[in-house]
Amino acid sequence: MDLECSRLLPALCAVLVDPRQPVADDTCLEKLLDWFKTVTEGESSLLLLQEHPCLVELLSHVLKLQDLSPGVLSFSLRVAGIFAAQENCFQYLQVGSLLFSQPGGAPGLRLLSAPPFFLSSPAPCPGAVDTIFSLQGDSSLFVASAASQLLVHILALSMRGGAKEQPCLQGDDWPTCAQKIMGHVEESLCSTVTPKVTQALNILTTTFGRCQSPWTEALWVRLSASVACLLERDPIPAAHSLVDLLLCVARSPVFGSSNGSLWEMVAQALSCLGPAHVGPLALGILKLEHCPQALRTQAFQVLLQPLACVLKATVQAPGPLGLLDGMADDAMMVDALLASKSSCAGLLCRTLAHLEELQPLPQRPSPWPQAPLLGAAVTVLRLCDGSATPVSSVGGHLCATLAGCVRVQRAALDFLGMLSQGTSPQELVTQALAVLLECLKSPGSSPTVLKKAFQATLRWLLSSPKTSSCSDLGPHIPQFLRELFLVLQKRLCSPCWEVRDSALEFLTQLSRHWGGEADFRCALLASEVPELAWQLLQDPESYVRASAVTATGQLSSWGLHDPTSPQHAVARQSLLRELLRILSADSEGFPRRAVMQVFTEWLRDGHADVTRDTEQFVATVLQVASRDLDWEVRVQGLELALVFLGQTLGPPHTHCPYAVALPEAAPARPLTEALRALCHVGLFDFAFRALFDCDRPVAQKSCDLLLFLRDKIASYNSLREASPNTDSVEAAPWRWRAHEQTQPQEDQEPEAVLAMLRSLDLEGLQSTLAESSDHVEKSPQSLLQDMLATGGFLQGDEADCY
Amino acid sequence: MPEIRVTPLGAGQDVGRSCILVSIAGKNVMLDCGMHMGFNDDRRFPDFSYITQNGRLTDFLDCVIISHFHLDHCGALPYFSEMVGYDGPIYMTHPTQAICPILLEDYRKIAVDKKGEANFFTSQMIKDCMKKVVAVHLHQTVQVDDELEIKAYYAGHVLGAAMFQIKVGSESVVYTGDYNMTPDRHLGAAWIDKCRPNLLITESTYATTIRDSKRCRERDFLKKVHETVERGGKVLIPVFALGRAQELCILLETFWERMNLKVPIYFSTGLTEKANHYYKLFIPWTNQKIRKTFVQRNMFEFKHIKAFDRAFADNPGPMVVFATPGMLHAGQSLQIFRKWAGNEKNMVIMPGYCVQGTVGHKILSGQRKLEMEGRQVLEVKMQVEYMSFSAHADAKGIMQLVGQAEPESVLLVHGEAKKMEFLKQKIEQELRVSCYMPANGETVTLPTSLSIPVGISLGLLKQEMAQGLLPEAKKPRLLHGTLIMKDSNFRLVSSEQALKELGLAEHQLRFTCRVHLHDTRKEQETALRVYSHLKSILKDHCVQHLPDGSVTVESILIQAAAPSEDPGTKVLLVSWTYQDEELGSFLTSLLKKGLPQALS
Repeated sequence: MDLECSRLLPALCAVLVDPRQPVADDTCLEKLLDWFKTVTEGESSLLLLQEHPCLVELLSHVLKLQDLSPGVLSFSLRVAGIFAAQENCFQYLQVGSLLFSQPGGAPGLRLLSAPPFFLSSPAPCPGAVDTIFSLQGDSSLFVASAASQLLVHILALSMRGGAKEQPCLQGDDWPTCAQKIMGHVEESLCSTVTPKVTQALNILTTTFGRCQSPWTEALWVRLSASVACLLERDPIPAAHSLVDLLLCVARSPVFGSSNGSLWEMVAQALSCLGPAHVGPLALGILKLEHCPQALRTQAFQVLLQPLACVLKATVQAPGPLGLLDGMADDAMMVDALLASKSSCAGLLCRTLAHLEELQPLPQRPSPWPQAPLLGAAVTVLRLCDGSATPVSSVGGHLCATLAGCVRVQRAALDFLGMLSQGTSPQELVTQALAVLLECLKSPGSSPTVLKKAFQATLRWLLSSPKTSSCSDLGPHIPQFLRELFLVLQKRLCSPCWEVRDSALEFLTQLSRHWGGEADFRCALLASEVPELAWQLLQDPESYVRASAVTATGQLSSWGLHDPTSPQHAVARQSLLRELLRILSADSEGFPRRAVMQVFTEWLRDGHADVTRDTEQFVATVLQVASRDLDWEVRVQGLELALVFLGQTLGPPHTHCPYAVALPEAAPARPLTEALRALCHVGLFDFAFRALFDCDRPVAQKSCDLLLFLRDKIASYNSLREASPNTDSVEAAPWRWRAHEQTQPQEDQEPEAVLAMLRSLDLEGLQSTLAESSDHVEKSPQSLLQDMLATGGFLQGDEADCY
Repeated sequence: MPEIRVTPLGAGQDVGRSCILVSIAGKNVMLDCGMHMGFNDDRRFPDFSYITQNGRLTDFLDCVIISHFHLDHCGALPYFSEMVGYDGPIYMTHPTQAICPILLEDYRKIAVDKKGEANFFTSQMIKDCMKKVVAVHLHQTVQVDDELEIKAYYAGHVLGAAMFQIKVGSESVVYTGDYNMTPDRHLGAAWIDKCRPNLLITESTYATTIRDSKRCRERDFLKKVHETVERGGKVLIPVFALGRAQELCILLETFWERMNLKVPIYFSTGLTEKANHYYKLFIPWTNQKIRKTFVQRNMFEFKHIKAFDRAFADNPGPMVVFATPGMLHAGQSLQIFRKWAGNEKNMVIMPGYCVQGTVGHKILSGQRKLEMEGRQVLEVKMQVEYMSFSAHADAKGIMQLVGQAEPESVLLVHGEAKKMEFLKQKIEQELRVSCYMPANGETVTLPTSLSIPVGISLGLLKQEMAQGLLPEAKKPRLLHGTLIMKDSNFRLVSSEQALKELGLAEHQLRFTCRVHLHDTRKEQETALRVYSHLKSILKDHCVQHLPDGSVTVESILIQAAAPSEDPGTKVLLVSWTYQDEELGSFLTSLLKKGLPQALS
């Protein structure tokens, strides 16, 4: 603890124990606690207490005071906990009496989670464990959860203290504390009050999750019968917690894969849990690394059941392959599908999400029923858009229930997108694309559904070349794209900005990957999409303008403007001008930032409009960017400058130690000439000004850029040590700092710039900038000062908020 | 037993980071998703781990509702939807939808710029989050799904602020968000209809305060600004881009106009334009005066307030500058403050709350020597003033709203525990409504009465209509019918229809009663006397004397008999069907009083 803080601490402790003195809000106490944690990590807690008697006084005072605020009490208990984590301090404070003398002092529970010697301390609190039992049922989630965690901690500690490798199953030789906790858990498991069962299951879940010692096996052997009994009750209590426990035990390395009784219990749970809970259990089982094959098969069947029902209800008998053909429907599952709209939607959403999660995993079941799943996803979407044909009464019911159900539609689209990663028969792929197109076309589709539909379509399109030849999208692509662009045209004119924006994002992504494909180019240019994207540069919504900038920039990179239309030819030429206009005139940051990104990409890729006169382009852009009020635009400006620098002086050095050291490539042009070019485009002016920018990221980026430049120049061995007028060189950076230099200097000489570069302590500046700019305000002194000052301030005023 | 459960994850006995979970009839709704500006780590967001353990968030939560654009109510939204993984619908009003991303973006820029936080939500995340928003109109009933519906009411406070009613079947909860019961310079007062929710969740920032009139604070503010510029000083007013800034701008603009002042007033560049745009766009959300005068004079087009340029800060002479951010923790406002702090002629007016650690907080708590970066010490000589312009309902306003909505119970959030305690007692005593004030993480469970929907047959309604009385919305009327349960549905039908549907035969049921009369005359004469007596009293009923000597009134039959043991006493046998039960009872009690003497 530094001197200044030591000096302030007694006064602060005095404020805290004085009920008449207002304490700043709880955040201050939390931050103070953080500080104590840091301090005690660095030095001895006992020494700290001895050097600062005010802390001990604070802790002993809070016990005596009646009208202390709960905030300060809770804070004091937690401070006591932090100190008591060291054994000598624990004895020093006799912390046990501090905790349990406070009814409702639940936050202090945490203080017990650290010291292992708590249980072996000479005078353990007799009612401690009972108090914690009762706090498990506290109305506060935080307290209840802390109590449960603490019980696990105490159990683990006492078992570790017992030091028996193979404790006896009856628990006769278990430490008293552990016996007490186990007795409580057993009793709770048999309780008819569900919250009690939940508490017991949560304790067990945390125990098996956290402790992987052999004694946990004995624990499970002892308790598994009580857990199994829960499965025989109707309804099964605390099903959610039960699933968590079963999965946690199954995952524990303590139990070998040959643990037959566990797997039997899991299998029983799979067959008797309700649809809401059985899904997560099945998914959890399928994610396990080791588990009997029969159980995996059962779990997968459970997971597939709802979709199998859907397929059965909608596919004509001699139709394509169904899921789980030949198996009877699970009556509970069918009931859930038919019970109500929300139960049906909930079940389908969960199933789709679980399968989506499973699909990319290496341990997913094999063979993976890709085709029927794709069929099911398509069918669910058809049910939602009302185009499915039911073949049974269940089907009819599903049609009525799911029509227009956005929630299921979104989940199905996500799943459908994920299925693009597998190989599917052509016929089904065509169906998938058709249903996606339907969804995109449908006037009733909500913006969130459209966004998901665009994302899924993109995934299918981009994955298509990877599919094997038999299921290649090949010949269908051009036709599909033609229809797709017709839809896209419509969506680009949507009254919802969300839809226009999603459509533009889709266009950008698609052209980024397919800009060079003839089919794509042909279909795009035959549509009005490029023209519409161009028009959206004027959109009233800034998000859309920004996306339009990115999209048109991407299209332009591929030369995707209709060469036959004179209008478009003009557009191509004037896009640069239009983007410059946006950069200098748009009132919002997003479009300006997007323009800078497009320009940087154009410069990097050698876009035709840029290469025509690169220096002029860079000069203009930097000049506009340097004046921008948005620091992110200025940072982008520096990024563009960095690309230009790389092109002028050669790419950055690779520092890979394993790379074969190649001789340095010959620089593109002589150094002086290159530097002159940099001066000409105003790069130095921009960079030096940015170095003293009031926004830290700009200064940081500029610092990086100048360091790169300095290193690069140093590699030119032929560099002359030019030394112009030293006075003016040293003064120059400070002129930028003081913002005196409002006009860019065009007549800078490379030598002067170099000298200036050398005169700057860039490394020093870099480390200063690495610190966040509020490090002074965040310091402990600042916190203590603020808390002390609050005492005098808050008294007269009302606490305020926004 | 159906119940409503409420768990605040934030705003439970505190101010900041509002986030309240409500479970109503099996539906889970999150009310607000705010951040705490006082923390720099994950603690700034509500602790969502308590809901993520219930399985997938999107399956668990049916929707998120945002009451208004302040960051302590919406600041954690991109984190929640894009980083924690909620993928369902988010509801807010149109102005909130428009303004919310601007403030989120502003906050992100400061967090990344000033604090160098890398693990923060990005612009793209803010945009993706805003795409999940469904904007609602005031008083529009929005179906979230088949069972859950929500409706927004005007809340004042800031542009677009709304209270929300959440309803599933006959159960409902109203969440007020932040609201103001008195109109201010630019916004109107909160209003809600008598929706009688099961629970009203209300903010309680000023739970113990009766606030002085805003006019006084406004006068004070204008006086201070005026005095400072008169003596040649500069006034800095740090504000957040939207909200209070516009209110103060209107105030100064009007004053400058009235006093014909020439001292320049500036506003941070870019923001005025944007703010004005939104105020013009959402003019129906402002107060009546602004709406009325809008056509002749747009209150948000300021004559005296100009865009600020960095270079202006060094100009000599007086000026007033509105600059962002509002807590002097970064950016333009801090830059200007550093330039002007050393001159005692200048003044800084903080119109709102500042979190610990910010320069705003330090100067408000009276610190005059501030350590700045690089071990520099900034001496603050300029005057520092604090004026709360935050627009919340005070104790009176809160009581007024509770009275308006007539809830069964009230739950207090967004306030300090001690003040809540006071208001809780007041509500319970004065309004006789039970009141709760859970801390964060604490669950309040309210039982609600079970509601069973009953269908009414058209026939029964028609029958009722045939009686000639037209239904009136405000006058409840009794309707008799037979309740039948068939295929787990309840229906109220006419008794004839019930008999038909259930295949039952009708049994006539008559009530009988004996009335003893002291009368020595013969039975026939007694009957005649009864007839005359009833005829004279029941003028509107059909009273008949039948040839067999009995008397009828509607379906009621009265016969006189003489018990053999006592010739001086006659027994009247009165019987009636259940339809005429009221009349039957009336006649019995009438006859029990005896027959008038005049006739005897």
